[in-house]
Formats: sequence, structure tokens, C-alpha cells
Amino acid sequence: MKEKRRKILLVVLVPAAALAVAVCLCIFPFAGPAKDDGKDILTAEGTGGSEELSGAGADAAVRGAVDFDHELDSYVPLKDHYNFYFTYKTVHPWWDAVALGMEEAQRQFLDKGITVTYEYMAPNAASAADQTERLFKAEEGNYDVIGVDVADEQVISPLLDKMVDDGYKVMTFSSSDAANGCKRIAYVGNTHNYEDGAELTEALCEKLGYKGKVAILVGSFGAPCHEDRAQGAKDTIDKYPDMEIVATEYDMDSVHLAYELTKQILKDHPDLAGIVCCNMSNPVGAARAVTELKSSAVIVGMDHDREALHYLNDGVIYCLGVQDCYSIGFHTIQVAVKIADGNLPGELFEEKTNVTTTVIYQKDAALMLELLYGDAS
Amino acid sequence: MKKMEITTRTFAMTAAIGSILIIATLILNTIWTSKQTVSATEEAVSSVSSFYLEAMADRRAKTITNLISNNFDQMEKALIIFEDERIETQDDLRDLIGKTKSLLSLSRFALVDEDNIVYTQYTTYTGGSRHEFLSKEVMDEHVISTVYLYGSSKQLCLAFQTPGLKVMGKPFKACFVQIDIKDIVDLLAFDDEGRTHFAIYSKNGGNLSDTDLGPVIGEKNILNVTKGIVPDDEWERFRDDFANEAAGNLMLSSAEGGAETLSYVPIEGTGWEMVVLIRESVIQDQIQAVSEKNLMFSRYQILFALIAMIVFAGVLLLQLRAISRNRLEAERENSRTFRSMANTDSMTGDRNKHAYSEFEIFTNLRIRENEVANLAVIICDINGLKYVNDTLGHAAGDKLIKDASAMICECFTHGSVFRIGGDEFAVILQGKGYDTREKDIEDFNRRVEENLKNGGVVISLGHSALTKDDDQLRDVFERADQMMYERKKELKAMGAKTRD
Repeated sequence: MKEKRRKILLVVLVPAAALAVAVCLCIFPFAGPAKDDGKDILTAEGTGGSEELSGAGADAAVRGAVDFDHELDSYVPLKDHYNFYFTYKTVHPWWDAVALGMEEAQRQFLDKGITVTYEYMAPNAASAADQTERLFKAEEGNYDVIGVDVADEQVISPLLDKMVDDGYKVMTFSSSDAANGCKRIAYVGNTHNYEDGAELTEALCEKLGYKGKVAILVGSFGAPCHEDRAQGAKDTIDKYPDMEIVATEYDMDSVHLAYELTKQILKDHPDLAGIVCCNMSNPVGAARAVTELKSSAVIVGMDHDREALHYLNDGVIYCLGVQDCYSIGFHTIQVAVKIADGNLPGELFEEKTNVTTTVIYQKDAALMLELLYGDAS
Repeated sequence: MKKMEITTRTFAMTAAIGSILIIATLILNTIWTSKQTVSATEEAVSSVSSFYLEAMADRRAKTITNLISNNFDQMEKALIIFEDERIETQDDLRDLIGKTKSLLSLSRFALVDEDNIVYTQYTTYTGGSRHEFLSKEVMDEHVISTVYLYGSSKQLCLAFQTPGLKVMGKPFKACFVQIDIKDIVDLLAFDDEGRTHFAIYSKNGGNLSDTDLGPVIGEKNILNVTKGIVPDDEWERFRDDFANEAAGNLMLSSAEGGAETLSYVPIEGTGWEMVVLIRESVIQDQIQAVSEKNLMFSRYQILFALIAMIVFAGVLLLQLRAISRNRLEAERENSRTFRSMANTDSMTGDRNKHAYSEFEIFTNLRIRENEVANLAVIICDINGLKYVNDTLGHAAGDKLIKDASAMICECFTHGSVFRIGGDEFAVILQGKGYDTREKDIEDFNRRVEENLKNGGVVISLGHSALTKDDDQLRDVFERADQMMYERKKELKAMGAKTRD
């Protein structure tokens, strides 16, 4: 009997136990799809993250080359409306960058209830004559301040003196100041063009091992900033006996002209080792020519042209001196307001408000493209 | 036909086999259902994410397209205002531009004269290098372009020709608005708790909106980032779609097995691609609730079945146990009955000779083991049974036997009475019966002598007790039997009927 009972128990309990095991196997593997806890990492992520960390430290200088973060100082303007006239050398993206800084200052003044209107005008090609004409016309307008980016200091400086004598409030700005001693009230812009030219050329000389033939593309004839940079370049090269300047050309701020001139120079001097470009346009022209002719000439130049930055990224251009155009524009409006209120250089503003130039190299190109144009590709 | 008998074994086997079959069916069904659910969920996730994303991308793209269209419409309305107004000075122009902007909610509205001089509410500037559409010799009727401002601010420029417009006596050739892409992004953003990401890209994959497209792509160039992640042919298709302003989807697989789906749609006229990305886990989370519910039901189903099976098994077990017990009891009862029938004299109800033989065997063992101390055997023999049978019939004879049995049992209450012959009884006295035997025997004999006088049953009694010298019960029996015969003679002398 006991045996029978045991058998019966076995027969019933075994299936029950089997069922329990089956249930466990069924339930737990089917707990539902694994939740994505949001920590998925694709293989590329780690690389990007580490680059960013190391780049941040090393690229501080690049990030500081152009300061987009400006606020108006505590000066309280006397009026609630100002009207300015600005004229610059030539229609060119460099001055478009300056204009953006001006517009930011204008916007901040507007937020404070102060309307700043201005004209910002230039010819299609640099011309002292054109600038003279514009200044004469500006005298007839109702402008609080007249600002000039001097096309030719020899021609324009006396005119500015006369305008000041006639009671106009005149300032200079952006790339070129008037001649020393000019009566213009203040200048906002690059005060170290000579040093910029010298620094760029020094980098070139080092790159070339202090020997070889070099050409200089100046820019606009008589433009102080271009001429000063070219002078700095010449004086630097003159220091090295094994280096020679074989050509000095004026491209008049034209990319195409710079391109043509460079081609010619390379044809005349196939062994050309380096090219110093003294403005924003001629590095682009020079790089196009060097690429086309597959020359190994090393190019150094100025500013932040997008195409130039791409050439820098690709190694065609060796280095570029980037000026802080945005800050130039912002400070120009800010200083103009103070001048319009009758202030003179002193506590409120300097006679020459300097803006920095930062020399960048190939490793900095991608970041600069990202900072200035939003994309490195 | 022989009827098949259902035994307990059969019943148990049937229950076991049935249980196993049910379990197996349940398990297989559950496995299949669960697999189907998971598979269907994954399929649904992919479909839903693609569908969901396509709809989202399309909706956002249409928002931008509508914005562009609205702005062009507004500019046309603005032109009507300018054509109707008398504008003589630059200040008049600026005032009107300001009013028109406010009236029509236009961003950075500007007019351009034939010399490419741009007039805004506050500024007049030479715009030939600043606005790409002005650099062309012949401007398209409607121009939609992306403007990369120095400082990485990106704007959407919408311009169209204004032939015939004259302001301040000068012909004006175009008007335009520039909309900051950040403002467009604000228009497109909505709070979905970070489930989806979107960004606007140029043809070369550059992020125009500066919005984050998830943890991997981030704000980087989408073509560069995805190149190493997706298969080459898919990436090439993706790149070509961007270049050709086409729509499509792209699946990105993470190293940890998760998936992201992105859907892209061209924004008409801009050369942009609207890209929306969602992690499949987000869709899965949404669907997870549904599938988990289904799985939960399955689990409940299994649990219920398990409980039902256990209860059923328990009930079966109890029933089987009850059946077994009943049968056991029945068999015991039968056994007892049979045993009883085998050891009982049917006439008197006393134990029979067979029972006495069993008792004798059992007692002999005990005598040999010296386990028996006080034991007496009484032999009773009915006097005159034959005479009664012969003269009065067997019925009377039977009655005589019964009366004798009754008298013996009555007198020897504490003894075991055996009918060992037709007219012979043996009484085994132990315990109290042994102790009171002298008196009981005396009483019995007195009654017998009384019966002798009144015609009752006369029984000859002999007795003997177990002594140390006895090896077996038989020894005691014979002494008792001998005494019984002596008594029979004695009773015969008194007038009792005998066999003779």
C-alpha cells in the first residue's frame, strides 16, 4: 500500500515539478526587450570626446583670436539718437566682418533705447579719389561722426585735418589709420600692421630654413596697413643673407589679380620658396596659383577668408594672421558715440584702440573655420 | 467482451500523462507566443520609428517651407506699401522700413538699389560682398540662400526682384529678409522630453541649426560622423541623398546593440536637409508598455495554469489517497471477515477448532519461551447430545449445543471459548479468568447438577492448569480432558444421559 502511494505521489509530483521548472524558464527569458538605458555609445564617440578635451586646452589662443562676446561699457550716451558715416577702402568680406561687430553694438544700443544709424560705404575698388569724394559728400550730410578707413594716408590725412578744422568729428577705423600727426580724433583698429608683416615673415623664414627666394603681394597701393605689413616683411627678409625678395606686387585687394600675379611670379621664378601676402584677398589668389602650378612655395598671409582657411587646413598656406574684425566694428560704434558726445581720448577711450592679430597654423584651421563659419568641411 | 477494469495505476498514469501533455502544450504555446510578441514588437518598433520620424521630419520641413512662403508673401505686401508711399529721403525710407517690419513681422527687412547699396531700418551699406545673391550679374526672381555670417551665425536669406520699384528717385532691384536659423530652430523645437533630436544640415553635411543630433552625431558634420558607422553602400546612398536633396532613412547601430533611426527630408528651395533622430529604445519604451502587458498576461496565464495544475494534482492526490484508504479498509474488513469466518463456529459464534489450533500453535511457542505463566484449560463436553439428536432431532440437538455454549460463555466470562468438537468445548483461562477459575468451575458444576435435575443442559467439565513441566498446551489439554471424562462418569452416575 505504501509502495502504491509512493508511486502515485511520484506520478503526480513529477509533472508538477516539471511544470514549475518550465514556468520559470518561460517567464524569465521573456521579461521584455531590454530597455535602452540611453548609454549606447557608437564607436566614434570616444574618439570625438577625447579630441575635444585636448583641443580645448591647446586651442585657447585660436578661440581668443576673435572675440564675439562684447557688451557696451558703462558710458551713458547723452542723446537717444546718433547718425554716423563710415567709409572704407573697398567692398570686401573683411569689412563685412567689421560691419557685423558694428551691428552688434548698434543692437545693444537699441536695447538701451538709443538708436544708432549709420552709412557704411565703399567703392568696388580701393581708390583714394573715390574716398575723397565720399568724404566731401559726407560733410554735406547730417552726421554726428565721420569714420574713415584710410585708403591712402598721403592723400586722405590732409583732408581729415581740414574736416576737423571745419568742426567735423572725424575718426579712423579698421585696417588703416591716418598719417602720424593727423588731427582725427581717434582710431580703432590694427596698430601693429608692421609687426604683423614681420611676424608672418619670420615664421616663413623659419619654415624655409632662412634661405630662398620670396615674393611679396602687398595689396592696395598706398593702403597704410598693406604697406606697413609689406615693410615689415621686407625688413625681416633683409635680416637673412641667404634670403632674397624677387618680386613685390600690388594686387589691389583683388583675388583674381593676386592669382594672376602669383602665376607670373612662379613662371619667372620656378624655384620660388615663399610668398608673403599682406591682405585678406591675396593669400587666396596665391594659393590658387600655387595649387594650379603645383608649386612648393610656402604662403603666409593675413586674415580669415574662408577659402584661405581651407587652404591653410590643407597645408597649401602655412600660416595666417587673423585680425579681430568683430571687435573692431563693435569698438568703432562705441567710440563713435563717445566722440559724438564731444568726448576726446582719455579716460573714456584711447586715441588708438588696438585690436589683436593672432597667427594660426594648419592645426588651427579646422577650429577657426568652425568658429567663424560654423563648419570645418 | 471483457470489461476493462480501471485500476488506481491506470488512473494515475492517465493523470500523469494528461498533466505532462497539458504542461508541454502550455510551454510550447507560451514560447511561441512570446517569440511572436518580441518579433512583432521589434518589427513594430522599426516601422513605427521610421514612420514616426518621417512624419516628424516632414512636418518640420513643411514648417520651414511655410515660413519661407509666408515671408515671401509678406515681402510682396511690403512692396505694395513702398510703391504706394512717397519716400523722398533716406530717413523716410528707414522709417517706412521700420514700420513695414513691425506691421508684417519681417526679420531684418532690407531693400537694395541698383548699385547694390542695402537699406535697412538703421543702416545703409554697400552689400555687394556681403550678400551672395547680389554678386551675381543676373539675380533670380526668388532667391533662397544660406548665409554664413562671420562668427558662425547662420541665416536664411530670402530675396526677390523688385523691378519697377523706385525710391528716392532711384531704381531698386531687390528686397530681402534674413532669418536667423536659431529663430527657425526655436520655431521647430517642442518639448518631447528629449526623446527626439533634430537638426538642419547643408548638402555637405554641415550642421546649420547648431542643434544636437543625439550623443554620437552631436553638432558635428553628419556625413563625416556617420561614415565609419554605417555600411559603405548605405553611407554613399545617404551622402547622395543629401547632395540630390532627397529624403530617406538611416539606421545606426550602436556597439552595445541599441539602435537609432534617423529620417531626413529636404526642405524645398533651401538645399537643406531636415534630419530627425530617435533612439529605437524610445519607441521601444512606448511599445514596451504594451508588450509588457501582453507578457504579463502570459505570465498570469502560466501562473494560473500552474496553480490550477497544482490544485488539480492536489485534488487528484487526495482522491487517490481516499480511494486507496477505502480500498485498504475494505480489504482489511474483508480480511477480518474471512479470518473471522475461518475461525468462528457458525452455530454458536464461538471460535472453532481451527482457531483453537492456531491458538495452540501460538501458545506452544510462548510456552517454550516461558512467556506463559498462568494458563488453564477447561474441557467441556455436552452430555446426551447424541441422544437428543436421535430422539428429538438435530434442531433440538443444535439448540442443546447453543445452550451449552451460552452457559459456558456465561460462566467463563473472562475465558476464550472454542468449540473443538461437535459436543466438545475448550475454554482457555488467562488473566482474571485464571484467577477466578476455581470459583467459576465450582459455579459451573453446581449449575450442571441443577440442570441435571431440571432437564437443562448437562456438561462435563475437566480442567487443568499449566505447570512448569508442560512443554505444550496439549499436555494441559489432556489432563483437562482426562478430568472431563472422570466428571462425565460422575454425572452419568447422577443420571445424566451419555453417548452410550
